[in-house]
Amino acid sequence: MSIVHNGLSGVLAAQVALSATSQNVANVMTPGYTRQGVLFASVQPRQSGLITAGAGVSVASLLRFSDGYKLQQMWSAASELGQRSAVQPYLTQLEQVMSIDGSGINSGLDAFFAALNAASVDPVSNPLRQQVITSAQALAQEVNSLGQLLLNQRAAVMQQRAAITEQVSTLAAEIALLNRQIVDARGTGINASGLIDARDRKIDELSDLVALQVVDQADGSRSVSLRDGQPLVIGSVAATMSVQPQPDGSQLLTVSFARETFTLTGTGLGGQLGGLYDLEYEVIRPMMQARTELAQWLTDGVNDVLVAGYTPDGNPGQPLFEFDATGAMGGTLGVRQGIVPQDLAFSSDPDAPGDSGNLLELIALRSQPVNLTLLGPVTLSDAVTQLVARLGMQSQQNQAALETAEIVRNQAEESWKSTSGVNLDEEAINLVQYQQMYQANMKVIAVANELLESTLAVLG
Amino acid sequence: MRIASTQFHATMNTALQSATERAENILQKMASGKRFLLPSENPVANVRLARLEREEATLDQYRDNIATLRNRLAESEAFLTSITADMLSVRDLLTWAANGSNTSEDVAAMAASMQPIMDSLFYTANSRNAEGRYVFSGTATDTPAVSYDPTAPVGARYTFTGNEEAQLVVVSDGVTQAANVPLPEIAALLNQLDAARESLSAPGVNVNDPAVRAAVTAALDGLDAAIASVSARIAGIGGAQNILETLDANHANVSLSNRQAALTIGQLDYADAAVKLNGYMTAVQATQKAYGAVSRLSLFEVI
Repeated sequence: MSIVHNGLSGVLAAQVALSATSQNVANVMTPGYTRQGVLFASVQPRQSGLITAGAGVSVASLLRFSDGYKLQQMWSAASELGQRSAVQPYLTQLEQVMSIDGSGINSGLDAFFAALNAASVDPVSNPLRQQVITSAQALAQEVNSLGQLLLNQRAAVMQQRAAITEQVSTLAAEIALLNRQIVDARGTGINASGLIDARDRKIDELSDLVALQVVDQADGSRSVSLRDGQPLVIGSVAATMSVQPQPDGSQLLTVSFARETFTLTGTGLGGQLGGLYDLEYEVIRPMMQARTELAQWLTDGVNDVLVAGYTPDGNPGQPLFEFDATGAMGGTLGVRQGIVPQDLAFSSDPDAPGDSGNLLELIALRSQPVNLTLLGPVTLSDAVTQLVARLGMQSQQNQAALETAEIVRNQAEESWKSTSGVNLDEEAINLVQYQQMYQANMKVIAVANELLESTLAVLG
Repeated sequence: MRIASTQFHATMNTALQSATERAENILQKMASGKRFLLPSENPVANVRLARLEREEATLDQYRDNIATLRNRLAESEAFLTSITADMLSVRDLLTWAANGSNTSEDVAAMAASMQPIMDSLFYTANSRNAEGRYVFSGTATDTPAVSYDPTAPVGARYTFTGNEEAQLVVVSDGVTQAANVPLPEIAALLNQLDAARESLSAPGVNVNDPAVRAAVTAALDGLDAAIASVSARIAGIGGAQNILETLDANHANVSLSNRQAALTIGQLDYADAAVKLNGYMTAVQATQKAYGAVSRLSLFEVI
């Protein structure tokens, strides 16, 4: 009767294989699904004797087509992509605003110095003097609106960072939970493939936020830590990441695991967190500082010249600008309240109201060097141009890196799919083959039945 | 390599997205006519464009200054021409009066007609602009160029109360031009004319009297000197106008070449853009067709 048994084992094995195939076909569009297959093994004969072929087929195991190395590559590509893509919208916005024609600090400076130049034709003229004050107000507004833009960007970066740390904590907790479920499933002999897929998806999401080290443990769990080694998940225990606002306006990033708290330095974090750190400390803060220095220099430069001169009435000059260095923006530039055209000291001689000596000194400020921490000495008229150029180069660099990161990530995904993804044609072939296997084994049982009936007929 | 079924869709998605992004970028450039939408597309070209823009702004201002300055100088020139005409009329009167055959009544009448011309000279020298500033007072624009003190003795009633400082206007990098013309000579001239008028209008005056003749001669000499000096100032204005015209033409040339450079650097090459756009569209169409063909290929269709 071993023929019937063999046939039955074949039918059962084909059913398992068909079930695996149907699961694959069902999940063809499921993101992160790892295809499964069956490993058949022939069963050794139960009786002794050299002429017994064997006791049929068994499903030795259910295979999970997965490659740990490809997963690691995908995750590290996700971190690089996250780092670059989180930054680009900020850079593009900044570039756009700073390079609009006919606005910005450069245009403001152009208009201010144009007004001074125009006044030199008739230094005592009231309308021409008024024009100087009006254009100074417009310039101050441009300087402040750049400050406001930078401040808004920094605030957005901080909010995003706070949101990311919450996401990191949530994902770490989910991974820890999945770790426990996987270990439990393995212990009770349940196929954990779906859980492992879910965990890999969570790790993928997490690596977009921050660069990770992922280590497989013998019990089936995965340990996840930051690139510098601070733990995020060990077994079924997860860390929490958080930000604390500091008195100086910055944020302190910490990871708490069990009873320990680690302070993160920010550099080399990778992922969106790393990108945002670079953005804040390489782009936004230096730009804010340069803006403050520029505004301070402009205020001191213009006011120093003005107070050394004389108004048309022969009085000592009054300052035009006032710079309030306090505030989160890094200082607000304004035109002194109550200043009137006749307060401007364009003359260098108290007895000669029509003298333009002091005015010429004001005009000369345009080509004088401003010492910016970021750029070194640059002329006033070129300072903003060079700041925009620096920003443009940073953005260009990031765009190139982003493009590369996208290609690498796409390639890593494709590579992972080539191992783990479902190919419908392949499944169609499997379906046909396992169906034939099923039918053939049924035929074997039928033949065995006929043989038995023939034998009974002979006896009958 | 084994290809997963979803890879086709993913590839298609990526290809369509990148082609759309490029086409959108080209469209934006075509709409604005700009070769670069953002500094990061070419930071160096952006710096060059920004510097050209700054230089353009400066040149525009210089040209504005030159135009205003030329108007001011032309205005001053008109006043000076009128002053010259007045001085020539006085000179005619004095030359006539110096003729020894004139009776004292004739001379008194001539002296009387000198007064309105002297008044005209006084007012023209104290011309003001629309904002009430004195034109010929140097940089002391609040005080009149010539002040009159009726209590002072004749010959010292007029004084120059302006100064001879120049009001400098920037007309090019490091180049300034005086916008004003100080007129210190008119006060001295008016004193001499006043002295001559005083002696000629004395009752029963004899022009052959050496004292009278000396006053008339002094006035004539003063007139000649003042006419020469004012003419020199008018000539100076003409010279300045020429220099300003040349400078303006230079600025215009530099500005033109700047604009051309800015166009070369920053303007979109429409032919090139159209070809690129066409290329992207062809790529999208080809990808769509390939996707259509590939996605119809399935073993499930035949089993």
